[in-house]
Amino acid sequence: MPLINEVGKKYWKVRMLLVVITVFLWIGVGLHLFPVYWAFMTSIKTRYETYSFPPTWWPHKITFASYTILFKASSLYKIMNYPLLTYLKNTLIIVGAIMAIQIPVCALVAYALSKLHTPKWNRILFLYLVGPMLVPGVISLIPLFLLLLHFPFPTKHIPTLPFTNIFFPHIKIINTYWAVILPGCYSAFNVLLFKGFFDRIPDELINAARLDGASELGIFLRIILPISKPIFAVITYFTFSGTFNTFMWPFIVLKEKTWPLAVIMYKMQHTIFQYYTENPEIGGSMAREVGPNTLMAVSIIQSIPVFIMFIIFREQLMKGIKLRGFK
Amino acid sequence: MQRKEFNQLKKSVISDIRQQKHRKRAAWLFSLIALIFVTLFGWYPLITAFIVAFQEFHLIRPSVFVGLEHFRLLLFFDWMVPLVFRNTLLYSGLSIGLTFLLPIIVSILLMEMRKNVIRVMMILWFIPMASMAGIILWKWFYSPEYGLFNGILSRLGFPMLQWLRDPRLTMFCLVLPGIIMYGPGLIYIATIQSIPDELYEAAELEGARFWQKIWYITLPRLRPIIAVMLILGIVSRMQTFDLPFVMTGGGPNNAVMMVVIYIYQLAFSEFKYGRGTALSILLFAVTMALIILQRKYFKENIDR
Repeated sequence: MPLINEVGKKYWKVRMLLVVITVFLWIGVGLHLFPVYWAFMTSIKTRYETYSFPPTWWPHKITFASYTILFKASSLYKIMNYPLLTYLKNTLIIVGAIMAIQIPVCALVAYALSKLHTPKWNRILFLYLVGPMLVPGVISLIPLFLLLLHFPFPTKHIPTLPFTNIFFPHIKIINTYWAVILPGCYSAFNVLLFKGFFDRIPDELINAARLDGASELGIFLRIILPISKPIFAVITYFTFSGTFNTFMWPFIVLKEKTWPLAVIMYKMQHTIFQYYTENPEIGGSMAREVGPNTLMAVSIIQSIPVFIMFIIFREQLMKGIKLRGFK
Repeated sequence: MQRKEFNQLKKSVISDIRQQKHRKRAAWLFSLIALIFVTLFGWYPLITAFIVAFQEFHLIRPSVFVGLEHFRLLLFFDWMVPLVFRNTLLYSGLSIGLTFLLPIIVSILLMEMRKNVIRVMMILWFIPMASMAGIILWKWFYSPEYGLFNGILSRLGFPMLQWLRDPRLTMFCLVLPGIIMYGPGLIYIATIQSIPDELYEAAELEGARFWQKIWYITLPRLRPIIAVMLILGIVSRMQTFDLPFVMTGGGPNNAVMMVVIYIYQLAFSEFKYGRGTALSILLFAVTMALIILQRKYFKENIDR
């Protein structure tokens, strides 16, 4: 609700205030749009023009070479070893798998906590499920890495099965997609959000369905799911943008062949800024067209999926975010 | 007659018990997968961390228990540790001090706009750049030779700056994007919209002015969510990695060397897993101390 009422708008002082607020807000919008504009403009400049100083506000010569070059691996010597499609595919696999596993898992456990467990178990399980969230994630960074080297043991000294010489079964998860997917399959934060929402669904609704003879899974699928669309939208969007943007963990546990987009972008910018900007002569030995324009082209490409997701979930987000379960 | 009633009661009790059983089974089935995941990838690494931190950890040879040796080395003999903690605290302080209030202010002011204007603004505001794309773009803005900022400075006749390459400026460069790119927070908007209109109407009858309404109604209502966001903000900023790592890799002369970057270096370029884990436990302790302080001085609910 606007705090300035219609009567107040008669006074010029109040009106000035309103103008100031409006200008302030629109400037903020402009500042947010500018990087997108700048990235796009840089991406359609020629490499030569990106190195003009001071930089030009719009390209003198429009070229889409920076986009086409990304899909040909051979031309990107030393910058990326595979064509961009490989990294897009990796991102799709990782993000898709995490979302497909994490969201149902979290929703089901939150529903069980909220409606099915007895109060005693409820308290114990809740602490057990949310506990790891209270500790900063960086603590499990190194141990998790060690564990994934020969899961489920942190060292190479794997105990043998009792009374035999056979090693305990263990597998190496590192350098496969699973190294990123498995730790991402559960999120305590999402359980909290789901539980906050499910707690406010009246029990009578579920009991009525039980009297009609519906199974518990049936109740969840047919009654709870349809009324929880907003919270699912919120969580889907945040899980997507969260996993899509993670850089550190994939960077540590994966090899280039399985890198998602964010990691290859790190490597690209490292090489390009290092060689092309600081020592342009060395850069000359690499592909002629590659420079900051390529980098900005990848940035635009990376931003598109996030934008699409926002457009898809916009209505539900605005609605779902109003839920006070968000705490 | 009595017999019939008794039978009915019996039937309903039996079906009730059966339902209870069903319910219990469903409850555990629904929780099973999550429990497996939280055990294997939540608790297990956490417990391992507290073992590894007290060992001289080797991947190939057997590890040796060394007690508090790592902590002793880190606290008293490693000159990097005070530096990285100073940097991390400075960054967290600057970032929270300069950028934490902005989304709250913007969200409150946004409510003054007309409904459809809010809609348009929100959509434009949330045209997002993916985070890595944003970091790289800002790095390009900062480029001393070809960047936009130096371009503007030179056009205006000011001396050009070295930005990320100047150790005195690097920390400021990390915080600057958060200040310039101000915008509303979805959570704040949601909470503000859930405040009942009657409160404002009542205040209006009492003759409350614009600022008074914000100060006495909106802000107290936002207080719980602000407290939560503050904790989340502290925790995430203490663990900052991506931004300084991608922009400078720790910075000229270690100017933005953060704790997590140092942990990363210890573990993955020097292979000192034990010491890295010990440092992460130190970081945990410092973060906890900050949170306890915050909870002491910023009460979640003003009424209590």
